[in-house]
Amino acid sequence: MVGTGKASRNRKARRLEAAALTLAVIAALAAAPVAGAQEQPAQKLTFTVGITTDIDSLNPFIGIVAESYEVYQVMYDYLVGYSQKDFSPVPELAESWTVSQDGLTWTFKIRQGAKWSDGQPVTARDAAYTFNRIMKGTFEQTNYPYTDNLKSVTATDDTTLVMVAKKPSPTMLRMAIPILPEHIWKDISAKEVETFENDKNAVGSGPFILEERKTGQFVRLRANKSYWAGAPKIDELVFRPFNNADALLQALKKGEIDFADDLDPAPFNSLKNTPGITAVAADYPGFNELAFNTGAALDTGEPIGDGHPALKDKRLRQAIAHAVDRQALVDRVLQGYGSPATGVIPALYKDLHFAPGDGQGFDFNLGTANQLLDQAGYRDTNGDNVREMPNGGRPLRFRLFARQESGESQQSAQFIKGWLRDIGIAVDVRVVEANRLTEIIGQGEFDMFEWGWVVEPDPNYQLSTFTCGSRSYKSGGTITANLSDSFYCNPAYDKLYEQQAVTIDPARRAQIVKDMQRMLYEDAPYVMTYYYDDLQAYRSDRLAGFVPQPDPGGVLLFQYGTYSYRNIGSPSQLAAADDGGSSALPLVLIGAVVVLAAAGALLVVRRRAATQDERE
Amino acid sequence: MATAAARSFGLTAAHRRIGGKLLGAVLSLAFVLVFNFFLFRVLPGDPAKNLTRNRLVPAEQVEAVRESFGLGKPLPQQFAAYVRDTLSGDLGISYKYRRPVSDVIAERIGPTVLLVGLSTILSIIIGLYIGIRGAWGRGSVFDRMSLGASLALYAMPEFWLGILLLIAFGVGVGPLPGLFPTGGMSTPGTDMSSLAGVLDVAMHLFLPCLTLTLAYLAEYALVMRSSLLDELGEDYLVTARAKGLRDALVLRRHAVPNALLPTTTLIFLNLGFVVSGAITIETVFSWPGLGLLSYEALSTPDYPLLQGVFLLFSAAVIVANVLADLLYSYLDPRVRTG
Repeated sequence: MVGTGKASRNRKARRLEAAALTLAVIAALAAAPVAGAQEQPAQKLTFTVGITTDIDSLNPFIGIVAESYEVYQVMYDYLVGYSQKDFSPVPELAESWTVSQDGLTWTFKIRQGAKWSDGQPVTARDAAYTFNRIMKGTFEQTNYPYTDNLKSVTATDDTTLVMVAKKPSPTMLRMAIPILPEHIWKDISAKEVETFENDKNAVGSGPFILEERKTGQFVRLRANKSYWAGAPKIDELVFRPFNNADALLQALKKGEIDFADDLDPAPFNSLKNTPGITAVAADYPGFNELAFNTGAALDTGEPIGDGHPALKDKRLRQAIAHAVDRQALVDRVLQGYGSPATGVIPALYKDLHFAPGDGQGFDFNLGTANQLLDQAGYRDTNGDNVREMPNGGRPLRFRLFARQESGESQQSAQFIKGWLRDIGIAVDVRVVEANRLTEIIGQGEFDMFEWGWVVEPDPNYQLSTFTCGSRSYKSGGTITANLSDSFYCNPAYDKLYEQQAVTIDPARRAQIVKDMQRMLYEDAPYVMTYYYDDLQAYRSDRLAGFVPQPDPGGVLLFQYGTYSYRNIGSPSQLAAADDGGSSALPLVLIGAVVVLAAAGALLVVRRRAATQDERE
Repeated sequence: MATAAARSFGLTAAHRRIGGKLLGAVLSLAFVLVFNFFLFRVLPGDPAKNLTRNRLVPAEQVEAVRESFGLGKPLPQQFAAYVRDTLSGDLGISYKYRRPVSDVIAERIGPTVLLVGLSTILSIIIGLYIGIRGAWGRGSVFDRMSLGASLALYAMPEFWLGILLLIAFGVGVGPLPGLFPTGGMSTPGTDMSSLAGVLDVAMHLFLPCLTLTLAYLAEYALVMRSSLLDELGEDYLVTARAKGLRDALVLRRHAVPNALLPTTTLIFLNLGFVVSGAITIETVFSWPGLGLLSYEALSTPDYPLLQGVFLLFSAAVIVANVLADLLYSYLDPRVRTG
């Protein structure tokens, strides 16, 4: 009995000792980052951007995700940039340019004083090297397919770059190609470049220089203090991936990161009332649409797929356009963060955007929709509340595909299904993965789907997705998807497309671009649903000086350019000092208290164990 | 004479049995190899197209990408190349990262083994302790409380527990400050070779490790408790007590070793899953491990990377099973003879 008693008491003592040790370890851990922070100079200002997709590669020829392009932007310069106000071409590495009378020969003056991060000067030869590498490289072209129209690019001296185009083109100033240092990249062969990581000692000329990359963890860059456009005010820039939107949000609230974007409405609304955080619903160049299978065919015209034949009829598509309540989608799917859409070039590109005049658009009106369908001969002849086609009597039952990855896509589809029921059209909503949907669309095996596009400042790419040549093609017996997802094919549209592609005068080109959008609006291969906002938020207690693009109303980060990165700094020197003290001090105190408590507990336990042993 | 013959016979039988197990393992691996290849070819999505998605890439470029990955060749040829390369240790080039699959995996295996390995060991130790104490003092306050807690933890979704802990200890609730980082494995800019670097990783490790330990330990506690309870009614324990052995000794020398067998199986099965990581927890805490990697690979889809990680996961489980079989026969003589 006595033996057991002693054993159990000792065990209790041991357990207390263990608990005290655990406490001590936790305290040491808690104190650790504080100690780490104190070693660094107090003034060092780091800007941490939380991202939801990891950077796939730091090699500008390999990376695919938008986050990677953001990093290339801060590491390298373009020849010509995009203005902060309205995306118009502005000098970057090229300080000026001229174009010959025939619109074919472009001469760029490269600025003097720009330096690579290893100290060598940036010259026209580096630019010529980069362009030629892309023009001659198969692999290199995949990421930068802008060089098709180039006949030659040469550096006549260190500051003069001459480009000769095959056709006059307005996109000559829109080639977003990072200029690379020839003295580094010439040693990387065509084979090596396919796996070159560019993650150590990367040499660039941009406002930030790569310091360190840990896959899946972060990319860290330091400010280029001798950047030609002026040194950034922050000292360090970190991109940190989060695989979980909740964790990203919590990290922003806690201050582990300073910036988050692509937030959902609910967390965004909660951030609006959080002290120290500024939340901005920024205009974003993206739109969503309800797309139709307007008659799937290959680029050769050979029909493919199994789309419903009724959707080839423009009048039916127009009736559906009247039956989609865009404002309701904005209010209920986007919770107000967006606006009803019209032209395929979003409203923030003011000069290029098309919107029909009052009363000329497809206003939401189920009566009008029903009337249009009656007129076109789609009537419900068998009383099942679903209309049938005039000849053959095939009922208007459509498959509508929504994306599994997107709650908004599925919600929109359900709304649309409801409205179409009211005009006698039956909809079968099918939710599939985006990957799978790409396949389905490419094969033409759909009637309708809900998806969207993000539109570049230059309209060429977006407009090209509606040309006959962008339809699926056959290679080696298999049908492969191309850019067109509505299989719209209209020779009149294609003609305008060719025309805008060689029109250099911005005003004349804008007119053509608007005419093309009007054509698309009326032919309705898409029912344009909404333009959505990018919901962004940042720690305004730590950083100030974010600038929107376009100005006003645009995004603060993930722009075409590095404006915010170069402009932000601490709200004031005083505030920065205050902040540093207040965040570190409580931690130090807590750490100290816990360490003391743990040490005390340890001491008491030891003492007690000792007295027990003595007693026995 | 007779004993010698019996002994040599026993030896060959054991050899044959071990040989059989190993052969079975190799066959399983071969099956996984074949299955892997075809499984990932029936997934939807054309990788060449996905990699060039949303960019103005001419058809010829897409063809070039497809060609460079060997996707243009007929299936049997692709399969032959796959088997040949895998056997020579070449797992191919990741579509997404454009780096050798073995490199990409090697980078992620450390974080996963650290997180899941440590959590598994901790949960085994704590879980077994709780199970043994609970069964020994069946119906006690400790037993009732630990049983309730174990059942609750066992039923709780891991990611939910993770998010709760993240909010409570990562961000802080009320007067409680956020002591631990909300995600990642290290603070950018920390020197990993220094003591501060080690502590920094420990800080980042704490929450995901705590979550996984809590999530795993319930299983061990419950299995250990019930198998020990089964033993408690056995006659040999009465005998042991009758011999005058103390309670603690009866438990340690007699009851626990016999009750450990089912737990051993469980431990080894779970050890096999250590490398495959914990997808949900790695996702919640953005822990750069293999679970997260396989999730990312699936969304591209990155066939070579997927094949690589699945091969690794399968191999780990198969090896752990073989080890469990061998150890089992050592622990329990009945398996050897029977």
